[in-house]
Amino acid sequence: MSPNRVTWRLVGMAALVVVVSAAAASVAFARATGTHSTKATTLVDGTTDSVTNIDPANEYDFGTFTLDVLIFQGLYGFPHGTKLEPVLATGCSPRPTLKTWVCTLRKGIKFSDGSTFDSADVKWSFDRVIKIHGDQGIYALLSNLQSTSVSGPYRVVFHLKSPQSTWPFILATNAGYIVPSDVYPADKIRTNDESQVGTGPYKLVKYTPGQQAVFQANPNYRGPKAKSENLIINYYSKSSTMKLALQKGEIDMAFRDFTPTELASLGKAQGIRVHAGNGVVIRYLVFNPTRAPTNNVAVRKAIAYLMPRQTIANRVYHGSVQPLYSMVPAGLPGHTDAFAQMYGRAPSVAKARAVLKAAGVTTPVKIDIWWTPSHYGDASADEYAEIQRAFNGSGLFQVTLKSAEWAQYSAEPGKRYNVFQLGWFPDYPDGEDYIVPFYQPDNFMANGYNNPKMTALIKKEYAAKTTAKRLAILKAAQVLAAKDVPIVPYWQGKMIAVSRTNVRGIDKTLDAAFQMRFWVISKS
Amino acid sequence: MAGQGTSLRVYLLTRLALAVPMVLILLTFVFLLMRVAPGDPISAALGGHAPQSVIDDIKHRLGFDKPTYEQYGNYLWDVVRGNFGTTITDRRQVSDIILTNGAATLELTFFAMIVAVLVGVVIGLAAGRFRDTPIDVGGRLFGIVVYATPVFFLGLMAQLLFGSYLGWLPTSGRASPITQATLQTHTNLFVVDSIIDGNWDALKDVIEHLILPAVTLGLVTAGVFIRLIRVNVIRTLKDDYIEAARARGIKEHSVLYRHAFKNALVPVITVVGLTLAGLLGGAVLTETTFNWPGIGHSLVLYLENRDYAAVQGIIVVFGLVIVVVSVLIDFVNAFIDPRIRY
Repeated sequence: MSPNRVTWRLVGMAALVVVVSAAAASVAFARATGTHSTKATTLVDGTTDSVTNIDPANEYDFGTFTLDVLIFQGLYGFPHGTKLEPVLATGCSPRPTLKTWVCTLRKGIKFSDGSTFDSADVKWSFDRVIKIHGDQGIYALLSNLQSTSVSGPYRVVFHLKSPQSTWPFILATNAGYIVPSDVYPADKIRTNDESQVGTGPYKLVKYTPGQQAVFQANPNYRGPKAKSENLIINYYSKSSTMKLALQKGEIDMAFRDFTPTELASLGKAQGIRVHAGNGVVIRYLVFNPTRAPTNNVAVRKAIAYLMPRQTIANRVYHGSVQPLYSMVPAGLPGHTDAFAQMYGRAPSVAKARAVLKAAGVTTPVKIDIWWTPSHYGDASADEYAEIQRAFNGSGLFQVTLKSAEWAQYSAEPGKRYNVFQLGWFPDYPDGEDYIVPFYQPDNFMANGYNNPKMTALIKKEYAAKTTAKRLAILKAAQVLAAKDVPIVPYWQGKMIAVSRTNVRGIDKTLDAAFQMRFWVISKS
Repeated sequence: MAGQGTSLRVYLLTRLALAVPMVLILLTFVFLLMRVAPGDPISAALGGHAPQSVIDDIKHRLGFDKPTYEQYGNYLWDVVRGNFGTTITDRRQVSDIILTNGAATLELTFFAMIVAVLVGVVIGLAAGRFRDTPIDVGGRLFGIVVYATPVFFLGLMAQLLFGSYLGWLPTSGRASPITQATLQTHTNLFVVDSIIDGNWDALKDVIEHLILPAVTLGLVTAGVFIRLIRVNVIRTLKDDYIEAARARGIKEHSVLYRHAFKNALVPVITVVGLTLAGLLGGAVLTETTFNWPGIGHSLVLYLENRDYAAVQGIIVVFGLVIVVVSVLIDFVNAFIDPRIRY
């Protein structure tokens, strides 16, 4: 036997020994460590959302909000559903002018690092949001806040620029999340690779950008302990990969987002359950009422008559959205189906023709409708194909669809486009957040809508002293919005999560508050 | 000998000098491309919430409000200092992305290259040795098919077959979520990290996760190797020294393995380097298909979020890696093959 051959045989034997030892060690390790017990107490969620700044002073996107709602709390919040409740406060009450709100804080609250929560932290948190003036724009929610002062360790006073009856709703947004004053700097963002400290049900123990966020139940949390001791949120770039991972059991649940086709397929898959609850995400078509042809209200009304809401909900979204007949979604207090009352629930070509004829408009009216291909999901293409088919099919319009990517599309679209697609999810689940941003003069869409009657209603709503009065004003605003038609709302999305069948508690968190309260979810 | 040493030195210096304009062209191209793209990436990256005053603040902070020539100068100076910028959306240093996500890409491309070389060499040698037999036809066909198949399609099929249908392997990620959460990261190379910690359970999990993406990416590259090695083997087997070896009565086994195959593999060294560029390009698609958190995966995410600064930084680093590798390959070639330097 040649020396070469002997060497190779020795190498081969050594490799075999290494492989066998590794396999044995692997089995021993798996037995020694409690892999199975960790799996049982760890809930793994998948998402296609992304994360920007975890520090609440510069967080204004849903993907990051899903993390923040676990780590931080505000003076108010939605801990059990759509009902606004005091959380870190025992309550807030306004002075008669509604320009000053006094909040009494809850005692005995501790942050996840063990430090005590008091009024100094509250003032610090609000002041820093305004001072940092973060590039995500969250500070805009506090634009009505003049100053914050403390009155003892457990009392805080908010001084507003103008009366606002819905101030507690603002306190429930992420702009009102409280951070400890000795950890978070006053004038700059705490970066994602630094620890985050809050009073929420979970504490963030590890964050790897684009990969995963790992949480453990916060031992200092005031409320009932989280149902799952550990939580991992795993990030996916494609929903198709997330779907495979869910079906294979690599993740326990997924929130959000699957395409309508994937949802339909998962609905039939074995071992998988699709959960749906009231949602508050809406989609709508915006007009510029100052430029032809949409400066003619008859043209806008004709479009309102023709909008194929049910067809879009059925054909494009397979029932995962429902027709919407007001900017305020169904399920929120103050909602009224103003468009259904004024234009009917089903499209009507005859009524659209009549309104155009009465106004002396020559048909077909040529219009360009703008939409954006990726920002609102792949289904937008089908959605606008349906809209074009319905409008052109009436013989009253000649629609040309035009699209632009979000970068080009998003900045003040009303200045460039006459008819265009937009979507919205709220800063807080109240009708006000579906009326004020859209119908006030100089709104964010820059579509030029300006009706003094609507502006007066908005002002009255801000200053309404009772909820009943406020909701009545919101209803009046919806009716006026349907009459003026600067916007045609057309669908309202459901809040959808998909899980393996051994996951419990998801349905408790699917409501119009649109927050995934992972602390109520467990698996058997 | 002195003459040879001088010519090698001159060649290497020339090659290095040529790399400078190559890098400059690359940097200029990336700079211009990012600025001619339509729309306002700053406001898009901020999700459409930010008021104009904030957008203007960021443009000022990033220097985008300065004249283009000044921006260009600052950009080049930053790259020279190794500063590839900070992302707009999540304020990460691009260098941090390169370190953490780059390790994932390195791990994937390393194992993909092993797959490519193993598959390419075995099938290429067999096809060349048994020319015009069913083994040759099968090998060539396999090479063409894997080379022509889009990597994302191959990946998807592998996911469906081995992950979903047969259930043998995981379909995405570098490790299962719990393993990744508990694994101590020393190098960001999960295989190495789990070995350092003696965490064999994690090692098994990590290797299971590596198999599908590495094989997918490796097979596409293997197609090139199969055809190259087959041709080289056929040509080498016709060479005079092989005939001479046979005439001297050396066993056929030794002729093939010691003489023919060894020489047929020399050109592969060059191609291995050159295919690295293709491998990195393929890694972008493979990483996206398998949710593999490498640089390519990050590039796609930042592109979707229109993060101008991140995309620019990552593309520059990608380009620099390709330039460095191509220079290194030229160096290796110059050492191996004296004809190149003359």
